Amino acid sequence: MKAVHIIGIVFVGIALAFVVSLYGNPTRYVSFPEAKQLAAENPDREYHVVARLDISKEMVYNPKKDPNYFAFFAIDSLDNPSMVVYRNAKPQDIERTEKVVLIGNYKGDHFEASSILSKCPSKYNEELSKENLGR
Amino acid sequence: MQEKLVTFNGEHLFIGNFGHALVVLSFLTALFGALFYFLSVRENSDAYRKIGRSLFLLHAAAVAGVFITLFIIIQKHYYEYQYAWQHSSNELPLKYMISCFWEGQEGSFLLWMIWHALIGVILVFRAGNWESPVMAVIALAQIALSTMLLGIGEAPFKIGSSPFELTRMASPDLLQAPVLQSIGQGNYLQVLKNGNGLNPLLQNYWMVIHPPTLFLGFATAIVPFAYAIAGLWTGRLRQWMSPALIWGLICVAVLGTGIIMGGFWAYEALSFGGYWAWDPVENASLMPWLLLISAMHMVLITRATGRHLVTTILLVCISFFLVLYATFLTRSGILGDASVHSFTDLGMSGQLLLFLFLFIFLTALVSFPTSNGKQWFTVGFVLLVFINLIPPTLETAGIAVDPNFSLGIRILDVTAFVFAMFLFVRNLLKQQGGDVKTEEHMLSRELWMLAGSLAVVLSLIQVFLSTSNPVWNKLFGLNLGVLKANDYNQIQLWLAMPIALFMAVSQFLSYRKTPASVFKRDAILSFSIAMAVTVISNFIFRLTEVKYWIFLLLAVYVVVGNILVMVRMKQKGLLGGASIAHAGFGMLLVGVLISSVNKQVLSSVPVDPSVQAPTLAENITLFRGKTAQMGEYAVTYKGFDDDGLNKYFRIHFRRGDSSLLRDSFTLKPIAQNNPKMGLLAEPDTRHYLWADLFTHVSYESSLDKEEPFSGFRSDTFNLYRTKLSADGMRRITLDSVLTSMEESTGTIRVQPLFRIETADGEHKAGPFHEYRLDAGLVGGRDTIVDAAGMMIRFDKFVPNNANPALSQVIVTTATREPKREYVVLKAILFPFINLVWAGTIIMVIGFSMAVWRRIGEYNKQRRG
Repeated sequence: MKAVHIIGIVFVGIALAFVVSLYGNPTRYVSFPEAKQLAAENPDREYHVVARLDISKEMVYNPKKDPNYFAFFAIDSLDNPSMVVYRNAKPQDIERTEKVVLIGNYKGDHFEASSILSKCPSKYNEELSKENLGR
Repeated sequence: MQEKLVTFNGEHLFIGNFGHALVVLSFLTALFGALFYFLSVRENSDAYRKIGRSLFLLHAAAVAGVFITLFIIIQKHYYEYQYAWQHSSNELPLKYMISCFWEGQEGSFLLWMIWHALIGVILVFRAGNWESPVMAVIALAQIALSTMLLGIGEAPFKIGSSPFELTRMASPDLLQAPVLQSIGQGNYLQVLKNGNGLNPLLQNYWMVIHPPTLFLGFATAIVPFAYAIAGLWTGRLRQWMSPALIWGLICVAVLGTGIIMGGFWAYEALSFGGYWAWDPVENASLMPWLLLISAMHMVLITRATGRHLVTTILLVCISFFLVLYATFLTRSGILGDASVHSFTDLGMSGQLLLFLFLFIFLTALVSFPTSNGKQWFTVGFVLLVFINLIPPTLETAGIAVDPNFSLGIRILDVTAFVFAMFLFVRNLLKQQGGDVKTEEHMLSRELWMLAGSLAVVLSLIQVFLSTSNPVWNKLFGLNLGVLKANDYNQIQLWLAMPIALFMAVSQFLSYRKTPASVFKRDAILSFSIAMAVTVISNFIFRLTEVKYWIFLLLAVYVVVGNILVMVRMKQKGLLGGASIAHAGFGMLLVGVLISSVNKQVLSSVPVDPSVQAPTLAENITLFRGKTAQMGEYAVTYKGFDDDGLNKYFRIHFRRGDSSLLRDSFTLKPIAQNNPKMGLLAEPDTRHYLWADLFTHVSYESSLDKEEPFSGFRSDTFNLYRTKLSADGMRRITLDSVLTSMEESTGTIRVQPLFRIETADGEHKAGPFHEYRLDAGLVGGRDTIVDAAGMMIRFDKFVPNNANPALSQVIVTTATREPKREYVVLKAILFPFINLVWAGTIIMVIGFSMAVWRRIGEYNKQRRG
């Protein structure tokens, strides 16, 4: 066998290994109840939950006590509510975001988010357009 | 229609119509320019070429005209135009007006077109006998881009989005605003006096230069592709590589600079704490760069040895497809929540996809040797486009489409794409002829350079697969999440190792065959030096894991090996470009490794690991005037300066007792409490040669909500009397009662002065009442002392004229937690991050030298 063939085979092998490892057991989008259920099976695995903030309930962030504890209530896309704890500073624009993607897992009675993805720039424009008409 | 009845006053309609006319002109000139260049190739006619050339030059002028027109609209604040209204404002400084072009999609397409036009003009005069086929491809791309600005038709068949659209057309709701009821809709411009303004994050020096550089990189990527297509089309299967190499290297240098500028901007101006976050938008710009690097190495191999022509052509073409794919990813809205900074959807995803597939189709088309094959292939493609138009047509007609039908079409598309690529490769294999069939020597440069190029492709494949998860979800109805930055890091760490190894080793090898003794001597010598450097430097780096040791060793090997190559070089000068670029990349790898693995979050507070992952507690609360120990620094929050827009927090750092390490400085991270975007934080960084101390504000006390008072109580004070507050935390003493009278109005003011003692110190409070003899009580003021968390309301004064000391002051007191000024701070130490920047700069210098060398070589070859 030629050396170049060996290189080719190794290349294809690693590429296939990617597909298997990246898609064999991927992170998925789930609802809060599913996340709770799945946490019982494997407490360390992280999942994505698409949710919106429940503005009717109070957010808790008291940096005087703990700057790394932010708790709020969120409602997933299937309307299941849950408490969410984010052990970091309160994200800057969280009140303004309609939709967030929470990455993390269920711990006891709440969803423990290790990161929160929220989108703001488009929102920014939209909000302004309504606002600056009166100026 | 209502709008027809209203006359709109004060609009500058001419300039917009003029701009739109220029867009149409640029579209038509691109269309006919492409057509004449095409005919010139087909008929081998110089007359057609000249017409094509004139049309393209006219096209370039039209594009420049569109750009200038739009700039005038922004600069003159013509808010009747949606683009100016949405992306600029009266307050926007001139220097940032140019940034409006890349906040909006239309503007960024325009910028891309400008660069294409400029490159096109250079090629018109420099490409020689390649002009017609190469310019046909570039004009074709300009057709595609100019339709993005046309803005005609209705969704879902809307073609482009015009930057000259009127605000009242784009947002008809605007005319229904209540304020216009009184002044009339026709006078809406009287109300529309200011624009929405540019996103404050874009109002940064780096955002003025980063996007144009990145777009120039994107724009140059078309040239190697155009040469490859031209080569296939005109049967010059190998000659296209010399000019393509020059442009490919320019692209690699410029795009690389653009990417790292973005990283530097993110690091200096954003608060995510790093220069690379594996955000899909970042990845989108990285993908073509990675593949183009690989493709240019393949070009070198094929040029020098004649081997692997098909792989080379394939990689060059796919790098351009990746530019189009990146555009699709960032502009179609498909990334949705997966990215924090992609553009919003303008309803052009169909159009973007169509162009991506059109270019893939045309690439495959030129590879067909017979016109019979070409015809069948074209019929297939047109059929596919029509099939894809069925669901949106049905939906417009109000007929529901079975989701399985749509899924079927998407699977058909993917199959067609794979099939087209298969046909492309098959056709190339048939035509290539003269490809070297003998076996490579084990000690040949081409063999190990091939391995290295493929290792880069592997790295690309991982980034591509993972970044595309939202695409797979959409295509096949899957449910895949996004990969976190650390997942990418852990995978790419292993992929960078073989790349580094091949980069170090292949430079010692010559094409075809290297004397084993020479190779052994240099490879072993440089490996030994690298080993020694790694062992010694790890006393400073203190890496603990084996995988990081190996990574460090290989990265150092790249640097040492390539320096040795330069030392050994008999003929110095531009020939060293490749080695310099490689050494720079090795240095970049070392910098990335050390600055991320040894990154130290100084502000992290110790936490109970049974409750949470310790890495997450990255913020610390600093009260004003208080000092906290962070790593080896004593950090004090000293207060802030306020310029009305931004707050500059003065964070004082002090380190070291011995004179050698003593250092003391103040960092001023910025926070802007933006009414539209919340807290905007801009970090401040202390740059040492060996490390950066990066700090930013995550939160500050003025963002706290007002707490309500509680423990309301009525208190009666005599003079000098001290009472404890309801919660026992404060001592309140009545020090004196002032009475004064203002002669002119006859107002008498009675003001008891209280002293409040808390754990922090003493505070004063002086509520008052004002009386007039004829009218009684006319005014007064309660006092809220935030620092003491105390409210005192003055209710009644009972004077005792006989013994003033027995006069009574009756007040209501209430308490809440005292307000204390504080910041929530994150401080990170990035060791040896300067290696990242230095490595990049050296790499770009190396690329530039390589570009000069290849230009010289090409000119000599053309003359000779």
